[in-house]
Amino acid sequence: MASIIPVIFILAVVLGLIACGYLFVPKGPHQTTIRTAIMLTFASCYLMWMVTYMAQLHPLITPYRSIKSGESL
Amino acid sequence: MGDDYPTLFRSEQMSLMQFLIPTEVAHDTVAELGELGNVQFKDLNPAVNPFQRSFVGEIRRTEEMTRRVRFFESQIQKEKDVVPIRPLYDSAPLLTVGPSAAHNIDELDVTLAEHEKRLVQMNDSYKTLSERTRELVEARHVLRETAVFFEKAETQHTDIRTSFDDSSAPLLQHDDREQQYSSTVQFDLEFIAGTIDRTRISTFERVLWRVLRGNLYMNHTDITEPFVDPATGTETRKNVFIIFAHGDALLAKIRKVAESMGATLYPIDANADKRSDSLREVTARLEDLETVLYNTGLNRRSKLLKIGENLARWQDVVRKEKAIYETMNLFNFDVRRKTLVAEGWVPTRDLTMIQLALRHATEASGTSVVPILHELRTSKTPPTFTRTNKFTEGFQTIMDAYGIATYQEVNPGLFAIVTFPFLFAVMFGDIGHGLIIFFAALYMIYQEKKWAKQELDEILGQFFYGRYIILLMGIFSVYTGLMYNDIFSKSLHIWHSGWDFPEPGSNGVSYAVSNGHMYPFGVDPAWHGADNGLVFTNSYKMKMSIVLGVIHMTFALCLQLPNHIKFKRPLDIYANFIPQMIFLQSIFGYLVVCILYKWSIDWSTRDTEPPSLLNMLIAMLLSPGKVDANAQLYPGQSFIQVVLLLLAMVCVPWMLCMKPYFQWKEIQMIQGQGYVGLNHHNGGHRESTDEVLESEEEGNGRVIVEEMEEEHEQHDFSEVVIHQIIHTIEFCLGCISHTASYLRLWALSLAHAQLSEVLWSMTIEKFLGMSGIFGTITLAIVVVFWFSATVFILCIMEGLSAFLHALRLHWVEANSKHYQGEGYLFTPLSFAKLDEKE
Repeated sequence: MASIIPVIFILAVVLGLIACGYLFVPKGPHQTTIRTAIMLTFASCYLMWMVTYMAQLHPLITPYRSIKSGESL
Repeated sequence: MGDDYPTLFRSEQMSLMQFLIPTEVAHDTVAELGELGNVQFKDLNPAVNPFQRSFVGEIRRTEEMTRRVRFFESQIQKEKDVVPIRPLYDSAPLLTVGPSAAHNIDELDVTLAEHEKRLVQMNDSYKTLSERTRELVEARHVLRETAVFFEKAETQHTDIRTSFDDSSAPLLQHDDREQQYSSTVQFDLEFIAGTIDRTRISTFERVLWRVLRGNLYMNHTDITEPFVDPATGTETRKNVFIIFAHGDALLAKIRKVAESMGATLYPIDANADKRSDSLREVTARLEDLETVLYNTGLNRRSKLLKIGENLARWQDVVRKEKAIYETMNLFNFDVRRKTLVAEGWVPTRDLTMIQLALRHATEASGTSVVPILHELRTSKTPPTFTRTNKFTEGFQTIMDAYGIATYQEVNPGLFAIVTFPFLFAVMFGDIGHGLIIFFAALYMIYQEKKWAKQELDEILGQFFYGRYIILLMGIFSVYTGLMYNDIFSKSLHIWHSGWDFPEPGSNGVSYAVSNGHMYPFGVDPAWHGADNGLVFTNSYKMKMSIVLGVIHMTFALCLQLPNHIKFKRPLDIYANFIPQMIFLQSIFGYLVVCILYKWSIDWSTRDTEPPSLLNMLIAMLLSPGKVDANAQLYPGQSFIQVVLLLLAMVCVPWMLCMKPYFQWKEIQMIQGQGYVGLNHHNGGHRESTDEVLESEEEGNGRVIVEEMEEEHEQHDFSEVVIHQIIHTIEFCLGCISHTASYLRLWALSLAHAQLSEVLWSMTIEKFLGMSGIFGTITLAIVVVFWFSATVFILCIMEGLSAFLHALRLHWVEANSKHYQGEGYLFTPLSFAKLDEKE
């Protein structure tokens, strides 16, 4: 059965990636820009994935399809 | 600041520098600084009228040169055969700095004047010659046509002679006899010949008939070729006419009428030999004129070609000179030391570069006196300068369009690099469409170097300017497309779906059964095509919008903190930031937590029904403390909700009162120490003791402010209170309305998905079943139609719409939480930017 564990696990992975992004970007004129971009990208992508995953964990409705003749899947 | 590198997080630190430039080096120094493009000069003579400034003469001269260059440009453009203008990077350089500079400019002035005079002369002579040609052509036509008349008349010669004989009086018998000895062809009805516009010929005839009471004989023919007016290019058709009449009075009348109707009269001889002589003469002159005209044309063209070689360089030089002299007009002339005093804003980081530039300028000009540079301390607000490169430029521009950041406040442009494409993608999410705009952006970036040199038209130029934004929008759209599982309105089945569809029951409906799998990445493809797919998707997208919205707003609110810390405003942290954060989180943060919590519970194992979160929130606000046990989300809910509501309610008076109270206390303290605020200042009278105290207490900058133009804090207490009331109301109401505003993320993505689905089902789906060659061809046509509709409607139109809404979210919802935006842009003297402005 689907559980909440992947959410927490992936959260830990993403936090780790964000930390790497912060620590390992070399110094230079674009350091702030690259750092911010990497961190924000990971954070926003994770957020969207998390919301999508959690919305389907324990769905309150089940999909149903009425097969009409000639309809393609 | 001690930073090694510039960042996009804040605008650069600026210093106000004073330049003492010896007059000999002034022109070259300004030229060098203009090439560098790092100094924004202040106007040190604001009260002086532009016609009284020191370098008015030079500016007038450069204006003359600009006018001449523009004249050349227009002449070249009017040429039918294109005259190539050699581009700037290919042109021979013209030294405008150094010891030979003044000589070069003078030479250029003389050259331009000469070229202009020559060109104008050639144009004038060309015009005159063309007119002459036209007249001669008309004359030739007249001669030809009248020859025809006379030949015709010759055959009727005897008739005319007899009529003449009858009317002749004895006085004329003498003439009669004389003429008999002269040529037999001659007859003495006088005539007038000429040309007239074809449109006027009938009016002309009628007027003449009326005026002369029919005592005339008129004949006219068309001239077949039209005459082209060289100046305007219009064609006019003319006719040749010849009028026979008798008597000087009549002839004079005819002449007058002809002149008034705009006809041109030509002297034609009655004698045929003389006429053929004139014809020959006219033809010869015409040939000569044509040769001269042709040569003039060639000459002019060669001159324009020569001008075209240098035109770009001249334009560049003239533009730079004008900019240099305009800048020099801003300087102050110090008579004692024979130097020009300039003040300008410079990014502190670039000071060494400026010093190098100054030294370089002195070396180039050959003098040994170096301009002196020293820093001025000022309390004026410096301009805002954010160092961008071609990638960050687009993002910074769209955030700057809302307002230029106050000097050194946190720059929202930095975060917009990711948040803007991301929020766009949430509204646009489709893998296929995302790929289309990604490749479009990639193509523009590939052509970057070439397109940057060209003059792109307005719309394409806008898209090209934002190519990196579009690139990121495309990448994020592919990601959100994967999340929504939508590619051109179809879904992908990459992993194992979590639902199985059994055979449909008696009513033809198949209810899916959960099979234990969880679609790990994105929306389960089982929802696509399900009848209640939209119910699920709407709920999912709306809740996602709220979650993303509240998190975005919280993030924007937190950007206040670095500002308060940097500008040393601890009061603002306690009086603004903390109550705002508590208010936002206690209501909307709580909502987000509830959404996530509700999703994480397996409701099949719970006794209670899953409550509607919307009703829960409304009930929390309207009837706090009363939570129905059957509809509760978690135990203890009523108590927690009451606490949160009380917290939020406490924040309102907290925001309203804390800051004004502390500012009031400060005012009391300052006034208690005996300072006089500027508002009570009448006519500038100051007590002497103030000056002593001023010099001691440098820290209290507010009261010592000398300059009237500076914005000083309002000591008026009523202003403070009003400002805080507005701020509080704006924030509290804004919280609610902005949270709801984020629902546009749902709305636009729904619209996009539906549009995409409708397009597919109305076009390709209907033609998929067709077979045979005819079917294939129709399918191909429909696919082309589908693809162009996808690009134009779904990518471009929907893309622009989502762009606009994402931008609005950044400008209104996010920026209102932290942005002051009261700065002014750093506009240095930069020759590179002059090109862009043109």
